[in-house]
Amino acid sequence: MVSLTSYLFISFVLFVAGIAVMIARKNIIAIMLGIELILNSAALNFAAYTRFVNNNLDGHLMSLFIIVIAAAEAAVGLAIVIRFFQIRETIHIDDASQLQA
Amino acid sequence: MFENILFLLSATLTIVGVVGVVFSSNLMHACTLLLASLFGISGLYAVIGADFLAAAQLVIYAGGVVILMLFAVMLTGGTANNNNKFGIDKIAGMGSIKTYIIAGFTVIVTSLTVLKIIANYIKSYEAHKLPEFESTVEKIGTLLVTDHVISFEISSILLLGALVGAAVIARPKKGQE
Repeated sequence: MVSLTSYLFISFVLFVAGIAVMIARKNIIAIMLGIELILNSAALNFAAYTRFVNNNLDGHLMSLFIIVIAAAEAAVGLAIVIRFFQIRETIHIDDASQLQA
Repeated sequence: MFENILFLLSATLTIVGVVGVVFSSNLMHACTLLLASLFGISGLYAVIGADFLAAAQLVIYAGGVVILMLFAVMLTGGTANNNNKFGIDKIAGMGSIKTYIIAGFTVIVTSLTVLKIIANYIKSYEAHKLPEFESTVEKIGTLLVTDHVISFEISSILLLGALVGAAVIARPKKGQE
């Protein structure tokens, strides 16, 4: 039951769901939810390979750095979203078509 | 036995939460379901003996990122402004459901065939006996300041840059408002 294959399957489901959210949603915050899912699937893969294949802790450290990077990315991305909403009064992705306000 | 039960519960929580994130039309519900799936992933970490990762996942995601997302939803108009459905059928030129089914089956059959062919040339790993669980906190602490010290320092600089950058970006410019 607890095997590498099941972990890879869960990670695959997370990745596909993240890609689907990123493609199909039109809301910037929802797209960031998809990015979080993709980063989590990568971190889960690192931890699963650490447990089942090579047993040293480098994979755990990589997962930890992925979590740190995801936190930083969420902070900066949401700051950009809030600033964009102050300027344009919308957070629809199709309205973000100019670099300058 | 206990591991299997915990694994099944965590995997169910993760996958149900993820499907909810994809298909829910209310963004607030999507954020809450993301929180549920992150709890599930933390349980999955705990099942394979990554205790420090499970705790960090809970603290950083549940305490930080999801709260930040909920604040961003509320600052950008709440749920009234943020209702959006799973919108792939609304894109012109994306075809009908029949197209998706045919394309999906084609991709699955092609990838299975290709995998079957190249599987002979890939070195597979032998499932060996798994080691006993032990605490990883001390080893991770040692590794962070010995082998991975450069990544550690770079991530600290990255976090500082993200802090300053988020504050600078979210601040209104002079002359506006």
